[in-house]
Amino acid sequence: MSQQKFLASQSIGSFLETLLREHRVLVPLCEGDSVVFRPFRKGGGLELTRMPTTSPKEATFPRVETLMSFTQKVSAPQEEDGGKERPEIELTEHLPQDSTVVFGSRPCGAKGKTIFSRVYDTEAVKDPYFIARRDNTLFISIACSAPETTCFCTSVGGGPADSTGSDILLIPVTDGFMAEAVTEAGAKLMESAFFDAGTQKAEEAQAVVERAETKLGQAQDFSNAREKLLKLFDNESFWEEMSAKCISCGTCTYLCPTCYCFNITDETAGNTGKRVRTWDNCMDYLFTLEASTHNPRSSKAKRLKNRVGHKFSYYPSLHEEHIACCGCGRCIKSCPAAVDIRQIVKSAQEYEDVNI
Amino acid sequence: MSTFNPYLPELATIQEIIQETHNIKTFRVVLNDEEKMKNFSFEPGQVGQLSVFGVGESTFVINSPPTRMDYLQFSVMKTGEVTERLHALNEGDQIGVRAPLGKCFPYEEMKGKDIIFIGGGIGMAPLRTLLLYMLDNRSDYGDISLLYGARTPNDMAYSYELEEWLSRDDMKTTLTIDAEYPDWQHKVGLIPNVLLEMNPSPKNCIAVTCGPPIMIKFTIQALTKLGFEDSQIVTTLEKRMKCGVGICGRCNIGTSYVCKDGPAYTYEQLKQLPNEL
Amino acid sequence: MKGLEELKDKIHEILPDLDLVIGWEQGYDGLHATPLFIKTPEDVDRLIIGPLCVHNLATYLPGLKDKKVGVIVKGCDSRAVIELLQEKLINKDNVVILGLTCDGVINLTKLGRKIGSLGAVDDVKVEGEKLNVVIGDQQHNIAFSEVKQDKCENCIYPNALVFDHFIGEPVDRVENVGAEHQSLSDFEGKSFDQRFAFWKHEMSRCIRCHACRNACPMCVCRDHCVAMTRNPHWLSQENNVAENWMFQMIHVMHLTGRCVECGECERACPMDIPLMLLRRQMNRGVREVFDYEAGIDAQNRPPLLTFKVEEDNISEREW
Repeated sequence: MSQQKFLASQSIGSFLETLLREHRVLVPLCEGDSVVFRPFRKGGGLELTRMPTTSPKEATFPRVETLMSFTQKVSAPQEEDGGKERPEIELTEHLPQDSTVVFGSRPCGAKGKTIFSRVYDTEAVKDPYFIARRDNTLFISIACSAPETTCFCTSVGGGPADSTGSDILLIPVTDGFMAEAVTEAGAKLMESAFFDAGTQKAEEAQAVVERAETKLGQAQDFSNAREKLLKLFDNESFWEEMSAKCISCGTCTYLCPTCYCFNITDETAGNTGKRVRTWDNCMDYLFTLEASTHNPRSSKAKRLKNRVGHKFSYYPSLHEEHIACCGCGRCIKSCPAAVDIRQIVKSAQEYEDVNI
Repeated sequence: MSTFNPYLPELATIQEIIQETHNIKTFRVVLNDEEKMKNFSFEPGQVGQLSVFGVGESTFVINSPPTRMDYLQFSVMKTGEVTERLHALNEGDQIGVRAPLGKCFPYEEMKGKDIIFIGGGIGMAPLRTLLLYMLDNRSDYGDISLLYGARTPNDMAYSYELEEWLSRDDMKTTLTIDAEYPDWQHKVGLIPNVLLEMNPSPKNCIAVTCGPPIMIKFTIQALTKLGFEDSQIVTTLEKRMKCGVGICGRCNIGTSYVCKDGPAYTYEQLKQLPNEL
Repeated sequence: MKGLEELKDKIHEILPDLDLVIGWEQGYDGLHATPLFIKTPEDVDRLIIGPLCVHNLATYLPGLKDKKVGVIVKGCDSRAVIELLQEKLINKDNVVILGLTCDGVINLTKLGRKIGSLGAVDDVKVEGEKLNVVIGDQQHNIAFSEVKQDKCENCIYPNALVFDHFIGEPVDRVENVGAEHQSLSDFEGKSFDQRFAFWKHEMSRCIRCHACRNACPMCVCRDHCVAMTRNPHWLSQENNVAENWMFQMIHVMHLTGRCVECGECERACPMDIPLMLLRRQMNRGVREVFDYEAGIDAQNRPPLLTFKVEEDNISEREW
């Protein structure tokens, strides 16, 4: 473990101001009754106590981004075409250039992008938009000292002080945070004078983490969920029961730090246009609707089955048993109908087929 | 340094448009970048995403074989927003092409075997690629037969090639339509029934079938009845697709992403996937 | 809400003739109720009623059209059932309505404002007018009236308006008859620029999850909603103030004369956008122009679903 340094609460504003010189800085702010990640402004406040309503995935996977733009033109009359004009298209790629620091995410939120990476950055295919953002975004996360009733990070391979996906991990202590560099880029940021190597509160920090771990209680063992969910694939009544109260909206997917599905659509204005990528929602009927009007996931039961199956079965099967969930609990906490994904997976694990 | 962007289409020009049926058009397309067109390589069964800029993209199989590279050919049935706009384009118009995507037919494993193609309607498109590829590498394969059916003679794509296929002595072609039609010289009957009547031997044979889902379902039943093993049946799947590279999340059946792991599957592989077609 | 035992007895009595009965059960913590789909007599034991039972269960009815369904409704919820019946979006022959009387349900956003994070609540009890919230070894005593849903503050329909079985005794309690919610006059007291700035700010937070739409009992286009279709292509998929705002405008216009102000849109919104402001204003317009209130009588016709040569309150001839 690298050396811990102390970052005083009262220095955070000034520290973030220094970051603004080179980076876009995203921080959790109170907006209305929600806490959302927004650009930090000089002298602006921060909300570091409440768990942010939205996840910090917006930093590496924005709600909407322009992949490319195009202009439709007509060439000058061509002799070889018998003096006719020829239609032309000018295509421009828009790769992200920003450098971003996310300050104040929880470890579960920072972990989200590592779930993306296994899909967006493989031998076979590289998503240049995500990769550019991921490689130019630093996460300064705050270890969780107040797990909520909806939290289950320890059940999906995380923990209140898990540093996966973070560059610096801060652990809250009296009057500030003990900071620990996780990556070299993080260590570099910690060379700032705002980080004080003289103050040591390692024991207090340790106690904070242990308290949080205790509060999270016994982790749920999801290891056999992979096979159990597959086994239940054709069990319509099971999925109908699990999805009965679901209203098939996108709250769970859009707040999820690990949900990575997207849509691509073209938008035009006159002769110019753009191809945009937007978050998409597997719980939506149109997500899989084919032009022929056939829809392989025509009911919310089928859609929820795919959502849960993807996170707890298909993704782990494809990616060395990693569950595509970071246990932040946003999908439970913000669900208008209080659908609880932990309970669904548990029901699948405990399901005994009386007909077999 | 610029990295390869899998979302960025190559600009291409529509060289020729063929009206196949009342709702199917075939587009012969060349990439604008001559170097890229020259070096373009793909395998039979792989697909491409065609862009109409301002409207969007849609997935189609490349139905010209890699052995005939003067152009890339795509056949498009008018069913949705992108296909409607494609149908409105003219020769010389510009589109985008992202290709090749997906996996090919197991044409290497098929070498030395007898092949029976069973195509219905627009489902003939992917079979055409493989059929022409095999005809161009004729000595690699055993007997080749084709059963091609459509609702009526007017719904039969590639009608201008059928005479040649019928007259070739190195393949056997059977055509069928669903119901009696004036002046029709060939079979009348649904594809699975005609197939049973043809009674092909499953011995050392691979069946490749594509068409509407209901036709595929009954054709596979017929093939099984004829004694074909699951591993001897190859078909292709269709799903709504966006990214085409296995990321965007809508075309999966369990762990298999049709855009990158398909669209060609053996029936044996399909049976191992969850039932979500 | 009173009469849990009576309600359970009634459900036991009617369940054999039904596919299911929709009620509420305790959710994942002491603070959340969650919809319960009762199919067996054992399921009935899980039923709860009370101030946590916020969900308008009528929202599920159009999706269960082919089933015989019992549904438990509060006064406000029953108005949605009336509206659905009125528009023939459900078939009365397939629905058995269990009507309750209600003293108000909780608004978790307001409770959050009082006690900060709601993330670790162990238990919530209602003792008369007091709400007792237990978080670890802490206790918070809050006046229930301060954390009720807005709609409960001036509720004039505490009893279910339509029912096959009424549970308990109807209460004779009507508060602030005809009073508009304070939020509307507060908002209208602001200048145009302030109001516009307010909505721009609120709409920038919208994540376009469409929880407001899917939680709405009257939003029945769901799977074919203009928010996603390309034909018509009225909205793009871009998440920005203009598109978000346009969607909300379409939503509220589509609810003109149909919205029963059950408040589910605002309650469902994960970003706490005050969507009811829009509904309240639209409903006031409907009251003023058409003398109409939605969800009162199943024989009525929503004013925009019918045509009158001359409207009483629109003097077109003078234009």
